[in-house]
Amino acid sequence: MKGMSQSKAPYFFIAPTLILLTLFSLLPILVALIISFTNMDLAGLADWSNISFVGLKNYIDVLADPIFTKAILNTLFYVIVGVPLVILCSLAIAIMINFGANRVFKAFRIVYYMPSVTNVVAVAVVWGFLYNPAFGLLNYVLDSVHLPAVPWLQDPIMAKISLILMAVWRGVGLNMIIFIAALQGIPKSYYEAAQLDGASTWKQLIHITIPMLRFAIFFVSITTMIGWLQFFEEPFIMTNGGPLDSTTSVALFIYRNGFQLSHFGYAAAGSFVLFIAIIVITMVQFKFQNKETDL
Amino acid sequence: MFKKTVTVLASSMMLIGALSACGGGNNDEAANGKVTINVWGMGEEAKSLPKIVEEFEKENPDIKVNVQALPWDTAHDKLLTAVASKKGPDVLQMGTTWIPEFSSAGALMDLTPYIEQYPELAESNFFPGSITTTKFEDKTVGVPWYIDTRVLYYRTDLLKEAGYDQAPKTWDELKDAATKLKARGGNKYGISLDVNEQSLLFMFARQNGSKLIDENNKPLFNQPEFKEAVDYLNSFFKDGEAPIDLGMDIIPAFKGDGILPMFISGPWMIKLINDQAPELAGKWATAVLPAKENNISALGGSNLSVFQYTEHKDEAMKFLDYMSKPETQLKWLELTNSLPSTKKAWEDPVLTSDANLKVIGEQMNASEPMPLIKPWEEIAQNVLTTFEKIYRNKNADVQKELDSFNAKSEEILNK
Repeated sequence: MKGMSQSKAPYFFIAPTLILLTLFSLLPILVALIISFTNMDLAGLADWSNISFVGLKNYIDVLADPIFTKAILNTLFYVIVGVPLVILCSLAIAIMINFGANRVFKAFRIVYYMPSVTNVVAVAVVWGFLYNPAFGLLNYVLDSVHLPAVPWLQDPIMAKISLILMAVWRGVGLNMIIFIAALQGIPKSYYEAAQLDGASTWKQLIHITIPMLRFAIFFVSITTMIGWLQFFEEPFIMTNGGPLDSTTSVALFIYRNGFQLSHFGYAAAGSFVLFIAIIVITMVQFKFQNKETDL
Repeated sequence: MFKKTVTVLASSMMLIGALSACGGGNNDEAANGKVTINVWGMGEEAKSLPKIVEEFEKENPDIKVNVQALPWDTAHDKLLTAVASKKGPDVLQMGTTWIPEFSSAGALMDLTPYIEQYPELAESNFFPGSITTTKFEDKTVGVPWYIDTRVLYYRTDLLKEAGYDQAPKTWDELKDAATKLKARGGNKYGISLDVNEQSLLFMFARQNGSKLIDENNKPLFNQPEFKEAVDYLNSFFKDGEAPIDLGMDIIPAFKGDGILPMFISGPWMIKLINDQAPELAGKWATAVLPAKENNISALGGSNLSVFQYTEHKDEAMKFLDYMSKPETQLKWLELTNSLPSTKKAWEDPVLTSDANLKVIGEQMNASEPMPLIKPWEEIAQNVLTTFEKIYRNKNADVQKELDSFNAKSEEILNK
């Protein structure tokens, strides 16, 4: 009897998580999968008899949609430029902050963390002012040192870079905290031993700090990558995907089709393409990580 | 051990309970014998709705009205949820362009059998353009509430300097005036054309005689009438008379030196100019749109509809009736500057004595809503991107872009 209740105990503990996960993640994903094979629109939402299965049509259409292709390329641009930038910046800042024991450095932790806790809409509005072509601070500064004005959000490539800049600024804080925590977990004895052997600070960084941070870097790169594949708020608020759809991300494309044009089936198919892409990319990363730890 | 398990279980159950409680409806009317109807209004002006509701409640003591003001940009999402769950308001405000979409989804009640019972709702009371926006297929699914139409705003002083004692009356005059205003030099322009405005191209195409969509549901967007209108609008960007990405709001650019001395917009701008640039009084005016074949403007505004799944049809209709009274509409005008949809209200001195409102009243006679078909929103989204490709690229092949826009629209219409 006692053994029975003990063998059941773990299930009770994971029950809340499991129930919530099923209700709010697994079930919606399943529903979305079903919707992606239908022609569901607003009329279908009101009366289910208006829905009919269309097989793979949504998937074929969405993959042939030139805007979707553009959105995929844009998203890849964001990921390829943005993710390494976030990791490098947050790692550099974390190491520099960790060097100093002074109170000032602790204050800087807050300074860098602040953007992560600020509401993204507020951030986007303020950055929108900075980027404004007529009154923006950035162009004003450029102008006062006699440099030509930059079309921050008006040029297709520049607009992508502007959004990345803002997102990097926003994303550095959280990852920096993770790196600092990992840095403080490295045993001091390694550094002491290295110092006895006469290793320079640079050598200590390359041969002790970075290798010891491998798991933190792996974690940060996966979460950041997934986050950037779903890049949405920045283009949604600041450019609405323009100019000429050059900042439209896959997530924004899905939102537009799903919630503005009410093509739920089509949008669900788009989101499944994204879903699969994210899983594949994450698995590839895991594979690489395994090889490294084996070495 | 066991105690802990129970606590965890209990707390998770409570959490789930709390989450599911959100889904419940609010049936509190039975308690006090009153019927409660829920009204969803949209935009800034809906916040003034409770003031009108107070008087309605005085006249109908057995009805209580709950007003919920939704911002326009989230209203669409919220309505989708209401349609999906079949739980929503009793009365809702509908932007005229939303009628086809929500009506075809069966979210709006057919008012035809009720309209006879309520004298204020007779079709002859309203502008004919507005009445067309309340119909979908063979049903009447709304009652016009307030209207708007686009007119030309211009700086009288600056146009005078450019040799125009009156507002430009034709397309050629508009172009000429813009050219002369641009010639003032500096960072100044001739006119502002809002490229994010879905109706801009369609409105000018109609003025050039385009029917937009023919009787057989075929789009006419690559026909000469439409292309000429696109070329005409594009010429303002090509010749630098209208700015691209200026990054300034319209009123700061309209006042002072008049960086943008002309623009086309709706009646809500009158109040905004008076509030934000009071020093401009006497230096600006409105005018009916310049004409080519005609000067048809884009009619917009809002209707009031009854939600299909309401349980209080009669009370909802009473509310619609009250909102359509000329007196109520004049009060609404006073509160929010929204223009009445009933013709009778327009005979009131408040509207006939104001020069700007008179212009809008005049333009109302030459105003048509955008085609009232379900996929219009998608076509309108596409026109924005199509025109963006044209005005941003000086070497764009306009005919080619319009051909592909037309093909895409045809596909959308055939769906």
